[in-house]
Amino acid sequence: MGEVFVLGAIAGGIYGLFAVATVLVYRGSGVLNFAQGEVGTLGLFLAVWLINDHGMPWVVGALAAVVVTTAIGVLFERFVVRKMGDAPRVSVAVATVGLLLFVLSGELVRVGASPKSLPGPFSGNGWRIAGVVVSPTQALSLVVALGVGVALATLLRRTDFGLGVLAAAQDPSAAQLVGVPVNRVSAFVWGAGAGLSTVACLLVAPGLGAFAPGALGRLFLFGLAAAIVGGLTSLPGAFVGGLVVGLVEASSGRIFAESSLPGVKTLAVFILLLVTLLVRPHGLFGTRESRHG
Amino acid sequence: MSEPVLEIEDVDAGFGASQILFGINLAVAQGEIAGVLGLNGAGKSVTMKVIAGLIPAWKGAVRLNGRDITGLAPEQRVGLGLGHVPQGRQVFPELTVEENLRLGAYTLRRRDKSRYAPSLAATWERFPKLYERRRQAAGTMSGGEQAALAVARALINEPTVVLVDEPSAGLAPLIVRDVFDTLKQVATTGVTMILVEQNVAAALQLVDTVTLLQTGTVAWHGPLAELDRSMLATRLGIGRMLGPSTAAAANKRAVKKKAVPEKKPAAKKAAPAKKVAAKKTVPQKAAATKKAAPRKRAT
Ligand SMILES: Nc1ncnc2c1ncn2[C@@H]1O[C@H](COP(=O)(O)OP(=O)(O)OP(=O)(O)O)[C@@H](O)[C@H]1O
Ligand SMILES: [Mg+2]
Repeated sequence: MGEVFVLGAIAGGIYGLFAVATVLVYRGSGVLNFAQGEVGTLGLFLAVWLINDHGMPWVVGALAAVVVTTAIGVLFERFVVRKMGDAPRVSVAVATVGLLLFVLSGELVRVGASPKSLPGPFSGNGWRIAGVVVSPTQALSLVVALGVGVALATLLRRTDFGLGVLAAAQDPSAAQLVGVPVNRVSAFVWGAGAGLSTVACLLVAPGLGAFAPGALGRLFLFGLAAAIVGGLTSLPGAFVGGLVVGLVEASSGRIFAESSLPGVKTLAVFILLLVTLLVRPHGLFGTRESRHG
Repeated sequence: MSEPVLEIEDVDAGFGASQILFGINLAVAQGEIAGVLGLNGAGKSVTMKVIAGLIPAWKGAVRLNGRDITGLAPEQRVGLGLGHVPQGRQVFPELTVEENLRLGAYTLRRRDKSRYAPSLAATWERFPKLYERRRQAAGTMSGGEQAALAVARALINEPTVVLVDEPSAGLAPLIVRDVFDTLKQVATTGVTMILVEQNVAAALQLVDTVTLLQTGTVAWHGPLAELDRSMLATRLGIGRMLGPSTAAAANKRAVKKKAVPEKKPAAKKAAPAKKVAAKKTVPQKAAATKKAAPRKRAT
């Protein structure tokens, strides 16, 4: 039981980060950003290139990856999302699929299909908690997930700009009419979404061993499931959803050994998602439909 | 008339190939309540949106305090003194009353944070009901309270001109009266306002001037006193509604006239050194509010 909880919490922190990125963009623009996971993976390959191939310190490579992918998010907002203006949100979502394919093919051209790996920021064996070995990077990922949650909550509720982000999410034209710079809000959510996704990828990478382009897609989808379980509009909900998905994944892996039933974890998360959508479409914390068409 | 605080000059606008506004001219003086009336589809909301910056003008200019704002984004115009009570109120439903007000003061706080506290205090004084509900999510309040919040949210930013688009739309008659009481009270504080309203009888009790729009052109413009009500009634197709109430309306106007000298001289004094005067009028406004409040309760 303790083992399931430790495993679930560690995975859940990562899913929570992906989910928070998804929720930010969804609240800010009314769009599911399907490119998010792959943009984060692109950041990962950039970090691999800087850290493994050019011998830069982990922190420097990781920061560079976060900065570059944040810029990609901002540029995508500036030159695609904003240009699409009042277009149906489905069209914008399709545009993010376009970005996903573009990034994926870029990765295949530059790094090829052969898997890479990235070490964590710390060496060391980690700690044994409830029979599970928790690596330093995994511990860090929990700390970062908590830190990101607290920082975002503070930003959104305590600063004028953050309140503007919430206001623009509820009613973009009304936000503009009180003087909120809605373009900057939109740039912020797309940039933060991409940057947070990269943070999640960097923290999960050491535990994965090797990864190829597209390989983190499953994690992004679990993050999306977490966001939906949490209600898609709620930031605390995103973290709770991440934890729920992490726990469901870990306990299904415990009940049915993955080796004898391949894909059982994915199936369990899929069932969780279905049940949520059928029983509680607004998720655990979602209030009501966003006003975005 | 002193130099107008808001001026629309020869504006054309529309959507795609269809032109909606044809050479609209409108000038609003300091302290004036300008009523914009017209049939459905006459172009009232489009005019308001051109002023707000939500719809671009094809031709012509919009000037605020003598400054050309035609090319500016809506939020920049708000920073220069435009305030909005949007159609449908559009409060932020999941944010608290106080958060809504803080957002209303977004550009004021960016310019000078120290001006927020007194402005908020003045708002609580003017809208005591909102103070009672300051921690409540705005979406859980009644339509009338949301309307009051929408007005308060616009005023807290100390705007030079407030655009009010159909404040009565979608509200029950009793609440409409409340909303107009609020607007009347606000009008006595010397705020400049453009009011678009379907409820013509209610609007005529509030406005100083009338602009009648007809298929995207100005069909009539002038002070309320010169308005031929039967002409207005014919053009708006509401003859019977305006007829009997004329006497009552004239009465109300007389009352209002008495209130006018209170604000107009201040406005004229303010005109020459505009920028400085604009700041100086703030305490005056607050004082006027204090005076106005008991009077409102008495009626
Ligand atoms: N987004 C839009 N796209 C195309 N045409 C529009 C749009 N908005 C308004 N119109 C048209 O512009 C004309 C003027 O509309 P407007 O909303 O200004 O009318 P209004 O005077 O405010 O009427 P109402 O009293 O019904 O609110 C109408 O013919 C309307 O169909
Ligand atoms: Mg209208």
